[in-house]
Amino acid sequence: MDKKFSPIGEKDVTSAIVGEFASQFQEYVESDCIIVGGGPSGLMAGRNLTRAGKKVLIVERNNYIGGGFWIGGYLMNKITVRHPAERILDELGIPYKEIKPGLVAADGPHACSKLIAAACDSGVKFANMTTFDDLVLREDNRVAGVVMNWTPVSAMPREITCVDPVAIESRIVIDATGHDARVVMALETRGILKTRGMGSMWVDQSEDLIVEHTGEVHPGLIVTGMAVSTVYGLPRMGPTFGAMLMAGEVAAQVALEKLV
Amino acid sequence: MKTRKLNHIILYNEGVDDNVDLPQIASYLKDRLGRIDVEIRSSLFSQELSPEQISFYSKRLASARISSANQFWEEHEPLYGEVEYEKRSIQGKTKSIGILYEGIELQLIYSELVPQTESNLRCVNIVLTKRLFATWDNANKRYHARVVLLGIPSLISTTGIIEAPAKPRDYYILKQQYEMIGKDLLELGERFSGQYIDYDDDRMTEIIKGYAMQSVFYYLTGTPFCQDSRCRLFNAHWQDEMISAQLHGEYELCPKHAYLLSDL
Repeated sequence: MDKKFSPIGEKDVTSAIVGEFASQFQEYVESDCIIVGGGPSGLMAGRNLTRAGKKVLIVERNNYIGGGFWIGGYLMNKITVRHPAERILDELGIPYKEIKPGLVAADGPHACSKLIAAACDSGVKFANMTTFDDLVLREDNRVAGVVMNWTPVSAMPREITCVDPVAIESRIVIDATGHDARVVMALETRGILKTRGMGSMWVDQSEDLIVEHTGEVHPGLIVTGMAVSTVYGLPRMGPTFGAMLMAGEVAAQVALEKLV
Repeated sequence: MKTRKLNHIILYNEGVDDNVDLPQIASYLKDRLGRIDVEIRSSLFSQELSPEQISFYSKRLASARISSANQFWEEHEPLYGEVEYEKRSIQGKTKSIGILYEGIELQLIYSELVPQTESNLRCVNIVLTKRLFATWDNANKRYHARVVLLGIPSLISTTGIIEAPAKPRDYYILKQQYEMIGKDLLELGERFSGQYIDYDDDRMTEIIKGYAMQSVFYYLTGTPFCQDSRCRLFNAHWQDEMISAQLHGEYELCPKHAYLLSDL
């Protein structure tokens, strides 16, 4: 009986993985923009930047991409979007249902996978299972890249994992790490700026404010998504995603202006 | 009680929503106060400000933000993004709300913009704003959002009308439950519909009239509030008290305050 699959040996498989990975890694040691965090805001920013011809790498600490976009609230996998952000769902081809005027709901897995696909299709590359460790700083503390390591390294006791991180460079870094605002916190640790901490929940106002405050927080560093809430002490917004997607668009726009 | 002579009332429109009918508020004051001029002006920030002044006031506004309701405000260096946001708000490029400001600091900023010739107790300056402000309560060591802050100028917050007086107790209990299970809070609004003033509420203009009158009485007598919960000068702490005093009061002003007004 004829075999269905081509006769390929183990070494060929390994060689393909190593070769492709190394080639991409080599290419992305320097890029236009590094986005830390592969949630909805980071993905949207990455998608728009690559569509504009920029070279973008998303660093994601988990194996999976998408952050909290798979699930709405309380482990229920329906996501909600308030007007006018359903425009982005239309753009990405994500089906949704109008619950009431101004509010739509979509299937979490469908929405998330479409957004990831859109980012991949436009040319975003990913370093998943990779944890942000620190920032690369240049003159006047301008942000010029990130220091990163494999996620499992940070999960193991220091005594048995003395593994130094590596650094990659970019002209712009975007903090899309959600409530943790990990990248901005690296500046706070050095006393360069002081974040305000996350505010209390105020759904009705928070989405506008998050989009409004998305932008450059420090030379070379743009903050987007829920990290904006932590940096500026803005109200939290609960399980709705319109602002995440729109903030991603704004972050990309601001980055493009800086990358001219 | 002696009253001070007033000669001018100026209502500054600091970007309030369309459901606030400023000409109607001006007519109301004119009608009740007789010969006093009532004028509507655009925002105090809309006067010609140099780019340096815009930067200066943006920074002042940004540093007047309160980041924790339980911590007394201290002057601090604002973040770049905060200043940029305030710059846009000064220029009328954003109408979003949700920032909480230190009330006295905010009033101080506005007071610097009131024209010098009108900065006195004979000219009632009222700023109608969407900005939400709070004042520190030393008794329980926390900030409380306010509807009105009296002085030169007096500030009336339309967001404060919605957020400062407390909603029915059950509203907060259910809100907590809704948030826990990720239920749409808009549904909660429907459940308590009419029991509190909400965004785009068509009762907003009528409510503001009472707070404008409190500002007028502050200038007239120095004592803006009334203990009588049926009087529009009643200092309401609950939404139902506010709605009752401003919309369903037995009378508009209590006999004492009505007399003061008739005797001007």
